[in-house]
Amino acid sequence: MELIASLLIISLASIASLKYRWLGWASLVGVVILVPSQPAILLLAFLIILNMLSLELMKRSYLAGVDYGLVAFMAAATIYAIYSTDLSSLVAAFVAVSVPTYMLVMASEERARTDTGIKYITFMVLATVLFLIGVALAVFASQTGDETLYAIAFVAIVVGIAIEVGVAPFHQWVPDVFVSADAIPISIIASLAKFVPFIVAFKILSATYMGNGTLIMVVAFLAIISMFAGNIGALTSREHSRILGYSTVANMGYILATFVILSKPEFLWIAFAGALLQLFANSFGKVGFFAAIKDGGSSPALTYTLALSFIGMPPLMGFWSKVLIISSLAYSGFIWLAVIMVINSAISVPYYIRLARELGAKDIRGLAGLVVALTVIATLLTLLPGWFIDSAKALTAFIGLGGV
Amino acid sequence: MSSAVTSTMASDMMPLLAALFLTPILASTPIAFAWAFRKDAPWARKLPILSVFGLFVSFLITLYILFNVEEGTKYVYPWLPAFGIDFVFIFDYLSKYMGALTGLIAFLIGVYGLEYMKDDYRLGWYWFCFNLFTASMLLVVYSDNLLMLLIGWEGLGIASWGLIGHWFRDDDELSYVGNMGRKVFGLNYFWSPSLGGWRAISTIRVGDMPMFFAVAAIYAFAGNLNISEIHWETLFETLGAAGTAILLIAFLMGPFTKSAQLPFSEWLMTAMTGPTTVSALLHSATMVAAGTYLFMRISWYIEPWAFSNAGMDAVYAFVLFLGLISSLYAALLAAGMWERKVLLASSTMSSLGLMFAAAAASKWLGEFAVEVSFWYLIVHAFAKATLFLVAGHLIHVTHDRFCGGDTEVAKKMKLTFLVTAFATISLAGIPPFTAYWVKSAMDEVMHGLIEHGMALPLTLLITISIIYSAFLAKFLSLNFLKGKKVHLHLHGGGLMGAAYTVMVSMLLVLLYLIMTGQEEVAGEFFHEGFVSTSLAVGAAVTVSYFFALMKPSIPQLSTVGRVLSDRLYMPFLNDLIVPKIGWVLVAIVDVCNRGVDFFFHQAIPAFFESASKSIRKIQKGYLASYMRVTLAAVMVLLVISSIVGW
Repeated sequence: MELIASLLIISLASIASLKYRWLGWASLVGVVILVPSQPAILLLAFLIILNMLSLELMKRSYLAGVDYGLVAFMAAATIYAIYSTDLSSLVAAFVAVSVPTYMLVMASEERARTDTGIKYITFMVLATVLFLIGVALAVFASQTGDETLYAIAFVAIVVGIAIEVGVAPFHQWVPDVFVSADAIPISIIASLAKFVPFIVAFKILSATYMGNGTLIMVVAFLAIISMFAGNIGALTSREHSRILGYSTVANMGYILATFVILSKPEFLWIAFAGALLQLFANSFGKVGFFAAIKDGGSSPALTYTLALSFIGMPPLMGFWSKVLIISSLAYSGFIWLAVIMVINSAISVPYYIRLARELGAKDIRGLAGLVVALTVIATLLTLLPGWFIDSAKALTAFIGLGGV
Repeated sequence: MSSAVTSTMASDMMPLLAALFLTPILASTPIAFAWAFRKDAPWARKLPILSVFGLFVSFLITLYILFNVEEGTKYVYPWLPAFGIDFVFIFDYLSKYMGALTGLIAFLIGVYGLEYMKDDYRLGWYWFCFNLFTASMLLVVYSDNLLMLLIGWEGLGIASWGLIGHWFRDDDELSYVGNMGRKVFGLNYFWSPSLGGWRAISTIRVGDMPMFFAVAAIYAFAGNLNISEIHWETLFETLGAAGTAILLIAFLMGPFTKSAQLPFSEWLMTAMTGPTTVSALLHSATMVAAGTYLFMRISWYIEPWAFSNAGMDAVYAFVLFLGLISSLYAALLAAGMWERKVLLASSTMSSLGLMFAAAAASKWLGEFAVEVSFWYLIVHAFAKATLFLVAGHLIHVTHDRFCGGDTEVAKKMKLTFLVTAFATISLAGIPPFTAYWVKSAMDEVMHGLIEHGMALPLTLLITISIIYSAFLAKFLSLNFLKGKKVHLHLHGGGLMGAAYTVMVSMLLVLLYLIMTGQEEVAGEFFHEGFVSTSLAVGAAVTVSYFFALMKPSIPQLSTVGRVLSDRLYMPFLNDLIVPKIGWVLVAIVDVCNRGVDFFFHQAIPAFFESASKSIRKIQKGYLASYMRVTLAAVMVLLVISSIVGW
């Protein structure tokens, strides 16, 4: 019931915003009525508000005010995906988060960037197709007990989300699109859009997983390639957006690594909490850095805090997320993967510090300054991470598929 | 005796023991601070009296312990309860005498130092190091716990470095060792105070390192660090013969270097660059005695005579001969020396060798040998301290560190002459003076070894005794009777004279104890004096003494003398060979450093740069090529997955 009301409000607000751009903010109401009093979801709401706030940094857009509506729509789908255990709803949420980004990625202050859009959309379509085929096959194979078919389905799902979020070696679109698109829409693609693919895949895979350890190794292998490709690629990149593109590739590797917990379901909550917190740490960091890029820089205190969170410096958010991921890897017997992750964190130090130094050459001012400051506050919200872990643990109740 | 040790937790002794170690240090802090901040204040030069007072308090406490604490008492205070390590103070036969000896000698030398050092430019440094040194020695003496002993041991090391290098400006010829400007095969054959300090501390470190490991090994294998409580026999059985030998040698590296046995003797010779008071203290009851004392102490509780272990037996035989050979080497050196203090330094080394040898003979002859060695330490300490103080006084009045002085000196400095004569006669082993009785007992010990198939030790001992007696007479003769004419600057000297007179009179006290049998152990030596071997050696020593007194230098032997006074070219080991080895190590470390630098500053960055560039090279910007790669990867993975699933 709320979902219908929410979608209605978002649609109306979007239509209204074609006339007056600021009316797009009304779509936030549609999101708010969906938000339960679950701390982790409140944190997500904070991210959504930051996403919409950063849209204000674009003076105009070919989307007029509809971009607010698109973000609200993605947000509604994300919240719904977290709570849903219904297969069709999950698949719908996956598509619902993916499609709006096709339009967002082309948004800029001058014209629609179609060349960027084509590159992006081609990959996304491939990803969505692979994912949908994979889901259908996985559910079918797990019911018939066909392991061969399930193996193909598993890989199709994993490759699908890998292309969707930009896991190496399917990451070619990431650096190009991050550089050629406008900073603000790409900050949304790099943050809000990353949640649903992982959550949906988590739910479907953990419900259907048939105990084939080699498949887990394929996931671990992809995660490692992605960590190294992302972190090493960023080391010599010059443009800030490109560095953040490679940083995304690395972060997606970290999150994908948590999928190895499928072999040890009793520790699933640690992996889930770690993946979710890493998504948040990555999102806030990306929103903050892209806002700083859009504005031509920010205060060093803020950029360094964001960089240190990315690196994983205690007690910032990026530290706790890595601690959780590394513990989950250790619990599932993948100590070596945990070690590789730590090595990768070390490799990432130079380029994050460089980014912080180059972007942190100005004073805080205006709306961009506010957005960056708010992202920094977000990284400090988990100084004591207990509340988040408890909340994430509560959300694991919704992992699984009803009626499958 | 050693089995009768009782252990007590006595809290009433706590303040007294704290005062014993802390008073000298605390009493010397005012002068240390005064010198740092108000050097020129008129009261600053009076503060040394306070330092000496601190030494006096310590001395009184050692006397209290000597007379009032029952032998074999231990006081235990918790230190590291989690590891079972406590502060353990032991008051047994050895430590009670040794403590009082240290306390008295340090105090007397302190009194002497008040006059000797009164015009020095670095009094704060001197007195602080001096008192720290004394406190450290007392800690070594009374420690039963090896870890606690190491604190004192290291205190000795650091304080000796500070004292030997006291005249760090190297600006006074009087403080050097060797003939200024002399070179032998390109090597500088003279040593400055700062170099002397460095040679001391660096040599001692060489011995301390293996000693640390040995202490750690003892703790690991025995689970206990208290010398009197460790089951040495069980420990040695556990370690086996080779293990025992390695452990004992590693442990004894500390005593060997501290007590300047071959080949670690060089530092002792150049330690003479320090003030004479320091030489006197170092060479009598402290520092060098600490090494022999520690060897006696562990032998006392190991009781090597009570059981047999191939490794232990070999080490004791090794120490026996190392001691004798070091002793012979040093005695020969002393015979060829011209420098007052270096002559005495060589003679000290010779005596230390005898102490090691006698204590090591306990393996075959039992506890008595350790007692002989210990009593020789006591007699030697008083006599040698006296001789050093005299040497210092002579250097003061003649402004010359080389032997010199004719009968005029003996006339003008009657007291000094008499004291020197008595000290040399007492130490040489001329009957019936003090050392004769102890030396007789030592003769008997070495004689006893013949029954165990070792005739060489007695032969060496007799040879050494004869040379020893000769160079003592030479010292007396060259400085007071038949030396070159010197110009005397006589003024003051009262306090110095008083100090060495009291010091030398202690030899009479010892003589009294031996002759009357008041002291049970020393009383036994009295009987050894009437054995035929002892009487024969006594006679030989006497002859040698008077011969050397008449003919202190033999011009025909000057070439031999030169070789001896060049210390048989041992400095080449210290100043040439070891440094060369050091430089090789430095070169190796340097190469490794460069390797590490290259690895982290060139190789790794270069690797990551090229890796990064090749990753970025994939980004050509063409969608078609991206798709080719992506689809290929998807295909490969799907193929793999179908194989996996099969």
